Amino acid sequence: MSILKKPDLTDPKLRAKLAKGMGHNYYGEPAWPNDLLYVFPVVILGTIACSIGLAILEPSSLGEKSNPFATPLEILPEWYFFPTFNLLRVIPNKLLGVLSMAAVPAGLLTVPFIENVNKFQNPFRRPIATTIFLISTVITIWLGIGATMPINNAITLGLF
Amino acid sequence: FPIYAQQAYESPREATGRIVCANCHLAQKPVEIEAPQAVLPNTVFETVVKIPYDNNAKQILGNGSKGGLNVGAVVILPEGFKLAPANRLSPELKEKTKNLYIQPYSTKQSNILVIGPIPGDKNREIIFPILSPDPAKDKQAHFFKYPIYVGGNRGRGQIYPTGDKSNNNLISASASGKINKIEALEKGGFIVHITSTKDSEVNQSIPAGVELKVREGETIQLDQAISKDPNVGGFGQNETEIVLQSPNRIKGMIAFFFVSVLAQIFFVLKKKQFEKVQAAEMNF
Repeated sequence: MSILKKPDLTDPKLRAKLAKGMGHNYYGEPAWPNDLLYVFPVVILGTIACSIGLAILEPSSLGEKSNPFATPLEILPEWYFFPTFNLLRVIPNKLLGVLSMAAVPAGLLTVPFIENVNKFQNPFRRPIATTIFLISTVITIWLGIGATMPINNAITLGLF
Repeated sequence: FPIYAQQAYESPREATGRIVCANCHLAQKPVEIEAPQAVLPNTVFETVVKIPYDNNAKQILGNGSKGGLNVGAVVILPEGFKLAPANRLSPELKEKTKNLYIQPYSTKQSNILVIGPIPGDKNREIIFPILSPDPAKDKQAHFFKYPIYVGGNRGRGQIYPTGDKSNNNLISASASGKINKIEALEKGGFIVHITSTKDSEVNQSIPAGVELKVREGETIQLDQAISKDPNVGGFGQNETEIVLQSPNRIKGMIAFFFVSVLAQIFFVLKKKQFEKVQAAEMNF
């Protein structure tokens, strides 16, 4: 049904490119105008419609006026700060808490260098970096959930 | 009692977000609120406050005997929202709320509703019929998302507004020393004779209905709990959000959705048509 370009294997230029692992745009469905002119507007319209629907059905509330002289009973930062916020409130020593926050970007910076001897880019061929990334992702999500709980469940999530 | 808050506080919600009932009802217990996600202007809707507690719970009453728990609730609505007048209620809603005497917090604040104390056994779920404002008539109201704060309480409080403790409290020893004698009174209650370490005798009277957990001959410390905690109730607060929705916006949104879906369909059709041209010419 859909239109497909077939590779013209008699073309020596294309054969040379294919030998180098290039030349994908010489076959398959043409980008212009099939995708760029016809399918992209479909996606763009769908995205705009989703945003408009959300803006009308679920507008963001203004919230309360902040009062600098009254701390709310429950303080919570923006969601992306939940993990470090949890670290800060769980660790009793303030300096250690701040250092643990600083350790997060510092640790992330080391990731590309840890396995630098390894020439591969594929994550499955970089086991150390991938393992560190996965473990820290799990810890981050765990701590982030813990931030929304009372302080005595902050680490255990009330599961143990 | 809501009346205590109404007399003492202009607004029942402090700047910290705490509802003032928590100043007398010290124990914390959960409370839930159910409200529609969005309401149209000038419409009656219901908001349900759920105050769960154990069916078998009995509390100590003011005279020392045991009795069922009372419940009460406060709903802090956005400005402009108010209690639905009786003539706007549907017969069904009227039936559901006929035993509830809900009143505004004060004459100035018709958007804050209080109820209570009412018997808790039939009223674990309190239904508030609410009338939404109309931005066309009320300049204060806007089509927006608003927060609703709710507080719900079961059982008696621990402190009166004067600062006196109620008998619904844990009683702690007024001196350290040895308990000489526990004297039961005819009217109920006890007098605990404590020989303190300084060899003076301290008599501590215990109101009726409180169960002691110490015995004669025991040595106690100052402020050690000598009675079981009689309190089974508690206060909780919660919040939710509600959208005051404009019917025109909904209509416009549906029209826009219709137009964009139509446009998407035509884009796909046009693409399919052009594919035929491509197939015929085969020149790409």
